[in-house]
Amino acid sequence: MLPNFLHAFGNQPGLVKGEQCLVFVQLNGGNDGLNTFIPYDNPLYYELRAKIALSKDNIISKNNGMAFHPALKNFAEIQQKGDLTILQNVGYPNPNRSHFRSQEIWQTASDSNHYLNEGWLGRYLDLQCKEHQPTAGINLDTIDNLALKGNEPNFITVKDPNRFKIRNDKDENIKLSDNPQLDFVRKIANSVTEGSTEIQQALAKSTTEISYPKTNLGKNLEWIARLIKGNLNSKVYYTSQNGYDTHDNQLAIHQRNLEELDCAVYSFYSDLKTANLLQNVTLVVFSEFGRRVKDNGNGTDHGTAAPMFIIGGSNQGKVLGNNPNLSDLDEGDLKHQIDFRSVYAALLKHKLAFDAESIGINTKPFVGLF
Amino acid sequence: MDKHNLWSIRLGFSGKQSPLIATMGLEQFLEASYGSKFSQEIPDFLKDSPKTLQALRAKRQALQNSSAEETKEMLKKELQVSFEMKSWWIEKMRSEEFPLREKMTCFWHNHFVSTYQKVKVNHWIFQHNQLLREQAFGNFKTLTKLVLQTNAMVRYLDNVDNRREKINENLSRELLELFTLGIGNYSEEDIKNGAKGLAGLNLGEDKAVYRKLLENNDTITYFGKTGKFKADDLIDIIFEQKAVPYLLTRKILQWFVYDSPTETLVNYYGDYFRKVNFEIKPLLTKIFTEEFQKDNAGSKIKDPLVYILQLMHELNASNMNPKLIAFFLKQQGMDLFNQPNVKGWNGGKEWLTSQIYLQRNNVADLLCDGRSWNRRIQFTEDSMTESMPKLNVKVNYNKNGNHLAIISELSNRLLFKKDENWQQEWESILKYDFNPKAENADNAVLRLFNAMIKTPEFQII
Repeated sequence: MLPNFLHAFGNQPGLVKGEQCLVFVQLNGGNDGLNTFIPYDNPLYYELRAKIALSKDNIISKNNGMAFHPALKNFAEIQQKGDLTILQNVGYPNPNRSHFRSQEIWQTASDSNHYLNEGWLGRYLDLQCKEHQPTAGINLDTIDNLALKGNEPNFITVKDPNRFKIRNDKDENIKLSDNPQLDFVRKIANSVTEGSTEIQQALAKSTTEISYPKTNLGKNLEWIARLIKGNLNSKVYYTSQNGYDTHDNQLAIHQRNLEELDCAVYSFYSDLKTANLLQNVTLVVFSEFGRRVKDNGNGTDHGTAAPMFIIGGSNQGKVLGNNPNLSDLDEGDLKHQIDFRSVYAALLKHKLAFDAESIGINTKPFVGLF
Repeated sequence: MDKHNLWSIRLGFSGKQSPLIATMGLEQFLEASYGSKFSQEIPDFLKDSPKTLQALRAKRQALQNSSAEETKEMLKKELQVSFEMKSWWIEKMRSEEFPLREKMTCFWHNHFVSTYQKVKVNHWIFQHNQLLREQAFGNFKTLTKLVLQTNAMVRYLDNVDNRREKINENLSRELLELFTLGIGNYSEEDIKNGAKGLAGLNLGEDKAVYRKLLENNDTITYFGKTGKFKADDLIDIIFEQKAVPYLLTRKILQWFVYDSPTETLVNYYGDYFRKVNFEIKPLLTKIFTEEFQKDNAGSKIKDPLVYILQLMHELNASNMNPKLIAFFLKQQGMDLFNQPNVKGWNGGKEWLTSQIYLQRNNVADLLCDGRSWNRRIQFTEDSMTESMPKLNVKVNYNKNGNHLAIISELSNRLLFKKDENWQQEWESILKYDFNPKAENADNAVLRLFNAMIKTPEFQII
């Protein structure tokens, strides 16, 4: 264990081989796992999802009873190359079906009847950073993320790192309102983020070699890649994609969302692979819950367990856990088999050389990921 | 923002008086504010500080005869008293039922500036402050006369060095430039002659007095009038000048409503101010009742005092140590009893720099987490290192509302205007299935609150 590594590392100029970071993509709204990684061999899948099941002819990369949503062709390719691990039926005991509460549980890594006000990554950063270090975690969003919230502000929330590229004495990034006081404060607000110097330096050192899709997620992942390539030394990056709450019109919406996800992730993957950094970067894609096994017509309601995707970071490239059991349900929802906290614990242990127990995650690290 | 809340913040330091303004109506609320009582007693923390000229002389001698170590100790003690005085005042601002008197006292405090840093006698600073409180709603002309008779002011603006043949123009100049007429409305001759009239006005037992031996009894010409004029005469002449009301009406408008009031407005209220013979009450009533009718939210950048006291109120953080608030104010450039110079805090855009905004946001995070900032900001004063209890913070909201109702309730109290872009962010914190009766609901609302108070919109009132 290297409790001081952040400081030591922060002073080093070049890239240190083997230095690891984690990148999280949170799919907001509850991604329908069963239509993402599909148990196409199970007749119950078609029986319970009369309106929204995906046809066997369209799904891709069939293997061992499971296949990808047609939008995820790049996920399939990454899997082919051995850089994608899929964890099946990830969840937690006594699942909560409120977005709000379930995200809180995923972000704090608490039990479902236990309330924490600090996020699991925030607690990790508290222990890792001896003094407060604003760029230890980067949240690509407009608002702070509970997962990164700790005792000390060891992360920053940035909507558009481009703002750091130019010193904001210039007004060009500010949309003027009709209120001069407000415009003034907005200009200041844009220039105040701690860590802006570090971010500027990282951006100055890196360029984007490949083209990313012009979507929100694409842009966010492009920024994250730039910061990683520019050697910002953040241990944790966090971003999210909205729109997974598919109570209605699921097929179209889900297709669109997964396409955005697939293209953005693939650009990120290729970018890092080209930069020879993929082994240092572990991308984690998850959602606060999956969706009800049986459809509600054209959509699905809130459910429980769902697959979790791990890309890069020298993962084992496997499909872990059993295929979803559609006949043994809990109030119509999948029973979880892998506790998400055991995945967190494994990420901390293998990628950040950190013992999850010291931040109150007592679940044993999941074996077989790395 | 709810109008009563807006005016509660403007006429005080937080939204605390919002229900009162709503039920009493603005005019009655103002009347009650004008009639608010305050204690005439000398607070306990001053009991060991020297008060009489004799006691001060004795102390000065003691200082001369003591070792460096002892001197340091004595100076430190008075510095601590000064810190106590800040706390005492902040506590008043925070707890008064009708805080307009304190708000106005603070206005005068920043108009007739006199700092502890220079005056170095806590008792005099207290007397000066108490005079401003007493006369907060009195008469501008009378108050100017009374302020010139405080020991604090004659020391602060060096009139103690203004003697018969050795003239010091400082007080004479600021009397015209900063206290009354404003630059461009007097001549250098007026300053020189005024200084002669003020010569000899020196420290006294309870207030400044003319000392026969130090006076200058030349016949002088002041704004075209010739005679032997002393302080009160000079002020009488000044208040006959045409320009006299506008400097003050501009500053009042800036203090309460607009960072940049229009000249039309300044003149409009200024003319009225002259008409009512510089009585403060009718002026304030006219300004507040007329401005209340207008749609003018968002015209002013919050000063650090309102920023922090509003947060204290919203978070129900009544056990927050006022010394920490005093320290915060100092960090934010609004150290009480210690303006950077005689001009006072300029306010407006000068309240915010990126550093200060960042610090506001850090403090916002700490407070929402129930912590105070002593851990991050090290105090130099010994007494500040005591450990602070965990704050019990809690945001009030209607538990019967859904997520949208709660968002709108909070933004009505905190943000001067609604903004569609922010609305989306708020709804991603409190989602549609948010249950206000759930166990952790308060914390979720606190997170929403935390996000709101970090916006640019919250910095403006």
